[in-house]
Amino acid sequence: MRHPFLYAAQKALVFVLSVLLLSLAVFYVSRLAPGDPLISYYGERAEKMTVEERARAEEKLGLNAPVYVQYIRWLEGALHGDFGISYKYKTDVLEVIRGRAANTLLLGGAGFLIIFGLAILLGIFCAWFEDRLPDRILCRVGTISSCIPEFWLALVFILIFAVTLRILPSSGAYSVGKGGSLSDRIRHLILPLAVVVLEHLWYYAYMIRNKLLEEVRAEYVLLARSKGLGKRTVLFRHCLRNILPSYFSIMAISVPHILGGTYIVETVFSYPGLGTLSYESARYHDYNLLMVLSILSGMTVILCSIIAQVVNEYLDPRMRQGPEVEPDE
Amino acid sequence: MNEDKFVQVGIRPPAEMRTAVPVKRRKDFPVVAAGVLAVIVLGCLFCGAVMTKDPAYMDLVNYSRPPDREFLFGTDTMGRDIFSMIWYGGRVSLLIGFLSTAVSTVIAVVFGSLSGMAPAWLDAVLMRAAEIILSIPNLLLVILIQAALGDANIWSISLVTGVTGWTSIAKVVRTEVRQMRESEYVVASRCMGGGFFHILWKHLTPNFISSIMFMAVMNVRTAIVSESTLSFIGIGLPLEIISWGSMLSLSEKALLSNAWWIILAPGAFLVVTLLCITDIGSFLRKNRKQSNL
Repeated sequence: MRHPFLYAAQKALVFVLSVLLLSLAVFYVSRLAPGDPLISYYGERAEKMTVEERARAEEKLGLNAPVYVQYIRWLEGALHGDFGISYKYKTDVLEVIRGRAANTLLLGGAGFLIIFGLAILLGIFCAWFEDRLPDRILCRVGTISSCIPEFWLALVFILIFAVTLRILPSSGAYSVGKGGSLSDRIRHLILPLAVVVLEHLWYYAYMIRNKLLEEVRAEYVLLARSKGLGKRTVLFRHCLRNILPSYFSIMAISVPHILGGTYIVETVFSYPGLGTLSYESARYHDYNLLMVLSILSGMTVILCSIIAQVVNEYLDPRMRQGPEVEPDE
Repeated sequence: MNEDKFVQVGIRPPAEMRTAVPVKRRKDFPVVAAGVLAVIVLGCLFCGAVMTKDPAYMDLVNYSRPPDREFLFGTDTMGRDIFSMIWYGGRVSLLIGFLSTAVSTVIAVVFGSLSGMAPAWLDAVLMRAAEIILSIPNLLLVILIQAALGDANIWSISLVTGVTGWTSIAKVVRTEVRQMRESEYVVASRCMGGGFFHILWKHLTPNFISSIMFMAVMNVRTAIVSESTLSFIGIGLPLEIISWGSMLSLSEKALLSNAWWIILAPGAFLVVTLLCITDIGSFLRKNRKQSNL
């Protein structure tokens, strides 16, 4: 048993190192890209600039130095809480993000809660009826739903509910002039949320189902059954309790998947969140914005995987040997 | 213990006690899925025989035509015949699926067995590295790299999706290799001077191939989805290179004119193909024991 302080220090070190590595990678890759960052700052004007004007502009944005110098400068600023300005919006990066983060958090968070609430119910239901009609039907429907690419499902939903039936809005987070109205926000949230949930639900429900099915094959279940315990008691009191650690770790490692999915959905529905923002910033070389956004999502993800490990080790000390958490489909 | 002894002493023969793990039965083979997939693959390979029009020809008079007898699935916003494009473009989509799976499987097998055979410290370093890569949302990574690389073509998309999709296979390979690295045949082969790649190919691969088969098949699916998603948001294949994804990148325009066939026809093919691949993939999984519940 290691000292708890050492343990925390080790986890913190892993976290810091991963974030540093990620920032370095994103920094280099984004600058390797062909394309002109000045266009996103100056717009059309950038194309007509003379050589001297360009040089001055690049110096102003700090783009004339070699990449590693730029990185060190950026890192210095970042450690003081200064992440630079967005080339496109011309304000502090954090300001730009603050306006959008709530939207993504709402979509992703609500999706996450619904997915995991329903997934465990579905998983138990399917395990209970293993290989019988309800299970077979659900498995079939689930497999089909998980085969549909996210963006296409979103398109079909827009086609049905917004274009043909005209009952739900097809894009945005609120109608113009109705930003404060709660019912309007919810109406805009229904379609994106439905896509996020439908796309991921079966993946996790199936995982839980399979974990449960592995569990009911254990010897202790046979013992409990032969001692006369009912099916329901065995399933809920013993099997379910035994798979809870993996349920929590699945929840934690699901964050990147759901986050990635949210980003695609945001793009299709032109939902003003971090996803559309990341895509724009990668596309138009808004370096500072891109850095903060990638680090933000990277940090969330790394943090979640560390949380998953810690929770696992707390619930099941055998895990300390080395985590074997892998999402299997 | 043979069964007639049970009968002789008057005990029920243990017919109901199916203790043995049932061997994978041939009747479980997803015939429908394999058949449909074969039709799609063959149709795409020999698209010349199936197509009714030139898929790249832009018939500017008949743009956005709904399905009728001449244009079986209608035409897109640029006047190309969707029915012909589906078969022609399927080649590209399927090719990307297979190419990228080849890339990711090769990386995964080499990385995984390297990590499995390596001393403990190197193994730890390699696996942590893989975990960090695994922790970045796959599609985000693809979008980042692809946006950074600029203009996409078939090779760059296969490479990008392949390079980002190998980590989970590598973990399985590593676990399997770790279990068999001390077995006699591996040690014997090493004593006789067998190199890393010799052992990998002759002794290790045949043993773990069945456990990564399912994941490799699923990677085909992921790659096809990535291609279509990338092309749809506009950083994948351009409109001139016909694929299921680039066909769907016209859907935003199609939504405005309610041209449902432009969205539904290629999408339906895409989903059916993915479904068939999934069915075949799940068949390759290992079977389960008898329930105790």
